[in-house]
Amino acid sequence: METQSEEQAAAEAADSRGEGEPPQVAGPQAARPEDRMALLLRVRAQTKQQLLEYKSMVDANEEKTPEQIMQEKQIEAKIEELEKEIEEAKIAFEMKKLALDRMQLSSALKKHMEKINTKTSVLMDNMKQILSLNKSVMKSQQETRDLEDKLLDVRKKRLQLKQASERKLLEIQTEKNKQKDDLGSMENSGKIKTIQQNLEMEIQITTVIQHVFQNLILGSKANWAEDSALKETVLQLEKNLTMIQ
Amino acid sequence: MSVLRPLDKLPGLNTATILLVGTEDALLQQLAEAMLKEDCTSELKVHLAKSLPLPSNVNRPRIDLIVFVVNLHSKHSLRNVEESLHHVDATFFLGKVSFLATGVMKVEITGRGFFAAGQESHCSIHRNTVMKLAHTYRSPLLFCDLEIEDFRAAMAQRLVRMLQICAGHVPSVSALNLLSLLQSSENPSLEDL
Repeated sequence: METQSEEQAAAEAADSRGEGEPPQVAGPQAARPEDRMALLLRVRAQTKQQLLEYKSMVDANEEKTPEQIMQEKQIEAKIEELEKEIEEAKIAFEMKKLALDRMQLSSALKKHMEKINTKTSVLMDNMKQILSLNKSVMKSQQETRDLEDKLLDVRKKRLQLKQASERKLLEIQTEKNKQKDDLGSMENSGKIKTIQQNLEMEIQITTVIQHVFQNLILGSKANWAEDSALKETVLQLEKNLTMIQ
Repeated sequence: MSVLRPLDKLPGLNTATILLVGTEDALLQQLAEAMLKEDCTSELKVHLAKSLPLPSNVNRPRIDLIVFVVNLHSKHSLRNVEESLHHVDATFFLGKVSFLATGVMKVEITGRGFFAAGQESHCSIHRNTVMKLAHTYRSPLLFCDLEIEDFRAAMAQRLVRMLQICAGHVPSVSALNLLSLLQSSENPSLEDL
């Protein structure tokens, strides 16, 4: 009810402005007629805009808002949907305006072209310059593309070399590891252990034999200090023991 | 009626009215003076209020733009604004309400010049609180240190332009249009909050 009276009042106000009567402005009155004209035109534009706003509010109020209590998240989602709709409407409007401008421009251009002498006009000079610039742009773009291709080839080669060197280094590493493992396994193999054991046994046998000889010599009560060979046999005991230990 | 509605009165001819709501009287007064100094083709009327609801016995023109001023150093101003928001009709928030946060930075004036020291540690309200408030009400949030004259003059200029658009004095731009223009840059950052 309130909104209907608003619309009526706004419509009446717009009508009275539309007739071009001088408005009762409370602010300072401009003395010169140009200023008053400017003021009138400005006020006219303002009233148009304000009328549009009131109209849109009236249309908006005619839509029924849902009465059920929605959860806050739902409300937020709904608000975002509506905002998206506003954005899409704006975008559509801008695109349509753009298309319209283009059509108007092309038709104006067509009419202009029909009137002028095609050889000497400034428009033709502009068009020719545009064409030459486009040609040079395309040429430089082609050059850049070629250079980029070359760069790409060089990069590919570098990558291949890197991969090859990686492989080589890997091979070297595996070889080294194999050698180390072989060495380690050799040391731990059973053969060496048995050889060591045999060696030890031989040493013990020789020590025993030496002891036997020494005791023989000592037991025979011969003077072993005089004969150099006998002296050697008796004194060899210490040497062998230290060798084993 | 205690609730402010945007379109319940007819607009005055060539006039635009702005309502500044906030607890800091001195700042509001200075801002109002800065706005009135601005060069504007329409007549400007600035109303100051500590809080809503406004007394209904005064005959006031149609209010085109409400700016809620929040001082980041005082929680009282935030609470005041939150309570005043209840007395504003929902249709006002279609572009005719804006929030202004002041006290963002404090400036130290030395002998040679001045440099700004960010004193956010002294703010008793965090920036994010105000940003969330503006996001809930889908209204633009402006930051300005109203104590510095240059910033105040710049903000006054911005507010005058916004006021002209909200009052319908700029053809082919409406308050809602402006709102959707102002909103698109703010929302992505608020998703991280």
